[in-house]
Amino acid sequence: MNRTYGARAAAGALAALLVLAGCSSKAKDDGGGDKAAGGVKTGEGISGKTITLGALTDLTGVYATLGKSVTQAQQLYVKQLNAAGGVCGYKVALTVRDHGYDPQKAVAGYTELEPKVLGFAQFIGSPFVAAVKNRIDGQDKDLVLPQAWSSALLGSSYIRVIGSTYDIETINAVDFLINKKGLKKGDKIGHVYFEGDYGESALVGSKHIAQEAGLTVVEQKIKPTDNDMTAQVAALKQAGVKAIVISAGPRQAASLVGVAAAGGFDVPVIGNNSAFAPQLLATQAGPALMKNYYVASPSLPIGADTPEAKKLVADYKAAYPSDALDNGIVAGWTAASAFGEALKKACANKDLTREGVDKALLTIDSFDIGFGTVQNFTDPAAPSSRESVILQPDKNATGGMKVVQEAAVSKEAEAYTPQA
Amino acid sequence: MSENPAVPQRPTAPGGPLRPESDEPAPAGLRPPSGTRAPGGRRGVPAPPGRRRARLTDPRTYVRAVGVVLPLAFPFYLDRFWLQAGLFAMAAAIGAIGINLLTGATGQLSMGHAFFLAVGAYGYCVFAADGGDGLTGLGLPTWLAAVLAVLVAGVAGGLFSPISGRLSGAYLGIATLALVFIGQHVMFNAHDLTGGANGRDVPPLNLFGLTFDDRELVVADVPFGSAEKLWYAGLLALLVGAQFARGVLRGRPGRAMNAIRDHRIAAGVLGVPVARHRAAVFVLSSMYAGLAGVLLALVFQRTVPDYFGITLSLDYLAMIVIGGLGSVSGAVAGAVFVSLLPQLLTRYSDALPFISAPGTGGIAPGEAARFLYGAAVVLVVLFLPGGLARVAARRRVRTEPGEQ
Amino acid sequence: MSTLAEILLNGLSLGSVYALIALGFVVIFRATEVVNFAHASLLLAGGYITATLHDDIGFWPALLAGIAGAALVGAAVEFLVMRRYRGSDHSVLAIVTIGVDILLTTELTRRIGTDVIPLGDPWGDAVLRLGPVSLAHTRIAAFVAAVLLIGAFLLAFRYTSWGVAMRAAAESSETAALMGVRLGRVSLSAWAVAGGLAAVAALFLTVFPTPGLERATSLAALKAFPAAILGGLDSTTGALVGGLLVGVTESLATGYQSDLTFLGRGLGDLAPYLVMVAILLIRPAGLFGTKELARV
Repeated sequence: MNRTYGARAAAGALAALLVLAGCSSKAKDDGGGDKAAGGVKTGEGISGKTITLGALTDLTGVYATLGKSVTQAQQLYVKQLNAAGGVCGYKVALTVRDHGYDPQKAVAGYTELEPKVLGFAQFIGSPFVAAVKNRIDGQDKDLVLPQAWSSALLGSSYIRVIGSTYDIETINAVDFLINKKGLKKGDKIGHVYFEGDYGESALVGSKHIAQEAGLTVVEQKIKPTDNDMTAQVAALKQAGVKAIVISAGPRQAASLVGVAAAGGFDVPVIGNNSAFAPQLLATQAGPALMKNYYVASPSLPIGADTPEAKKLVADYKAAYPSDALDNGIVAGWTAASAFGEALKKACANKDLTREGVDKALLTIDSFDIGFGTVQNFTDPAAPSSRESVILQPDKNATGGMKVVQEAAVSKEAEAYTPQA
Repeated sequence: MSENPAVPQRPTAPGGPLRPESDEPAPAGLRPPSGTRAPGGRRGVPAPPGRRRARLTDPRTYVRAVGVVLPLAFPFYLDRFWLQAGLFAMAAAIGAIGINLLTGATGQLSMGHAFFLAVGAYGYCVFAADGGDGLTGLGLPTWLAAVLAVLVAGVAGGLFSPISGRLSGAYLGIATLALVFIGQHVMFNAHDLTGGANGRDVPPLNLFGLTFDDRELVVADVPFGSAEKLWYAGLLALLVGAQFARGVLRGRPGRAMNAIRDHRIAAGVLGVPVARHRAAVFVLSSMYAGLAGVLLALVFQRTVPDYFGITLSLDYLAMIVIGGLGSVSGAVAGAVFVSLLPQLLTRYSDALPFISAPGTGGIAPGEAARFLYGAAVVLVVLFLPGGLARVAARRRVRTEPGEQ
Repeated sequence: MSTLAEILLNGLSLGSVYALIALGFVVIFRATEVVNFAHASLLLAGGYITATLHDDIGFWPALLAGIAGAALVGAAVEFLVMRRYRGSDHSVLAIVTIGVDILLTTELTRRIGTDVIPLGDPWGDAVLRLGPVSLAHTRIAAFVAAVLLIGAFLLAFRYTSWGVAMRAAAESSETAALMGVRLGRVSLSAWAVAGGLAAVAALFLTVFPTPGLERATSLAALKAFPAAILGGLDSTTGALVGGLLVGVTESLATGYQSDLTFLGRGLGDLAPYLVMVAILLIRPAGLFGTKELARV
């Protein structure tokens, strides 16, 4: 090997390099940072007359169904916001990166977008949000609205969960079973849940209310690759459960409800908001779903009977005529609206820096966009709402869901403190 | 058999047209391990003075020097996104070198590489963390934790030897697949060790009083965050790893490994201790994976179980096929290709004509990357046997006829 | 007791679906010594064709079209890719099938998008009740189909010239070639047959109790790997036994999850692999596989 020559050449080149580095565009230039334009302080994410927001989504991976609806709803929101004049005279742009539910791409996407955006209106995948949490809290201080309802994400001033977290939602769901479906002290409930953050967060909730109400939880943990719930139903039937909670995907819910119904195991089943998709109503599980299945959701469904919901449906249909209407649209719209509201407040405060937007969001205490629940963003340690709406699949309703119980908080959910 | 029936191909044909390329042309015959050093072995043999002078005038020396030095400059110019992408590629390269020793050079198909990466990544966290977040942590010095994590990955590879020593080919491949499933199960369930689904924080590396974290350190007016600092640690790890693997492949162990790949029984008959070599290569490969895991953990700053799935294992196999089986340069080339391709496509999706922006229908950048990646695996095997590294190797063979 | 019976019966019926997938691996492995990682995408292709056609042409013609389509895709993969490889390393070919799988799966999932497509099968969600035990008609159909197809294969391997050629190729490809067996044809037909089998498996994977075909359907093929291996990669009987064993193991591990909590919950996916590793420790070629012969 040419070690000596290599070493000498390397040393020489390195010396030259250190001299050159002074000319690097990365070198710190003083005096950058906040510039005042029209009296409004601006910082990262704003260049020229554009405010850029990021969206880290999943369009090709396991959460593609959710990601597509959320992203399209947010693009629609941004379009309408700009058509109405934007914020403070700035246009808003949404830069979307698809990570396909791959941690490496998600972290890379965050690293790429972070210097260019004011904040993130969407970030799918709570493990990935957790992965960059230290950077967000430490130096970036950018507002991030995750599309993940995990209580593990609470407690940061910059990562703000919108709507009730899975544990609270599950408490409300079981409360519905107790109040409306005759579940009583001493009964057993089955809980079928995904391995991972979503399912385990929900399990915390069901165990909490079970303890409060004197129920016993029979656990069945599954993986996202399990599509056939026959064995789970057999086990729950054997255990003699009176009701079932499912914290999994739409397919698993359909299979569970279908198998239980076909086997004459006639118990109510309630799922979290991610455990339903309107596409299921066209499958064989459709009739069983409409009979025995309920969904706890952080907001009214897309087909809700409010003027705002009707307008959103009409606009969304006009923009994406071939795509299904589901609750992902509501989730995406709500998050984008909350970000937009924070921007408008920050504009009124004449501070569109990241810090200014974070502060503006903290002052929003009763944000209502017409989907039944009121969001309060003043406490970073708490989710923005503890309310859940109970829905039931209905083939004739827009988006396949109708409301059976309006937004409400159970007393157990009110008293419950999520563990961060 | 998919080959032309008229020319029955023996699965063991030595020097068949498409044999995986190694860095050095393999000797024509298998050398009995009689203790004599192979004439081509370079280690310890001083280069004759004539050759040394030739090196000075040889342009490739300078190309190589620039190749080594140029990456040293990157942290001064590239932004964090590119540095991070480069670090992912470096970690992948280290891991790919490991699996190329096993699958490429020794012919043992492994689909469990992701498991050993996970052992390295989580091992480092367990050894280095101070237990402040309620998870198991031994609070060892971070450099020691990194070394121990690599060793533990090696031990894990050794523990698998009852399986890896008995099986080969497809059976070994699918048996090692079991490791990935076992690993994911443990990662999701052993909450105290792994932090469960949301993973656990990775303590920053600390060497000679320098902490590889995001606290800014200004070098020649350039702010140095974790990516800039880790860049040098990654380069060093890759260089050491590559040199060591090169040594292994060029020395007697490498010949023995190739002999086992080409014909296990013949190798045994010729006196190669087949079982011992296979076990040793499996351990070594696991240690490379462990090192890659440690580096990845440091770059990610948090380990999450979703990462260490079956896709990751398949990615590593694709890397060595695309880059070139059995060689260090092949592993590095493949790793760079596979790790950077999706990032390039995503980043420049707006500028590429056939790719549509995310959320607008059409071919999304993520899908385009999958298409190119799948096509690369197929096309390289069919039309570029020996992989990307072969192109360079061919040139070298042409210009250095008197090498042996 | 009735629960055990129900779990066992469901395990057997689930296992018969895995057996169908495993049989596809075995057919290709016997003919070409290649492990086909692209099987998952063949499965998805067959299911996709059936799912998109059944509305227009009815279920049975759509199923036939699905089988034919997947067979065609399989044959095309063999003809366009596998046959062009001039090397001799079967591990490399196995990795090539990974590349093929990525290509096909990406295109199919792009087409399927976020839909869940029902297959329009005649069984619906009907259930057979034997006392306290209930069993879905779809699962009985799967079991019958698996047994019939595997039986047909055993007979075909034994009595048809195709079967003889296949066995000869598996025994020694050189000798077979010298004896006039056209290895190219054997290989092509094996891929086509595996494609057809995958389409049948796709049917039973997407009917009740599963809601329909969607992008993640192909992941089920992962469960057939341990089935094929623990039965012995070159044994058709092994595919059946391995499939059933995997189905029963998975079913038991899930059904008795509460009694196995010391291993962590959610063992269903993992259990087949653990059983496979245990069997490989005792029988490195699987239960029915041929021991590797040392030919120098």
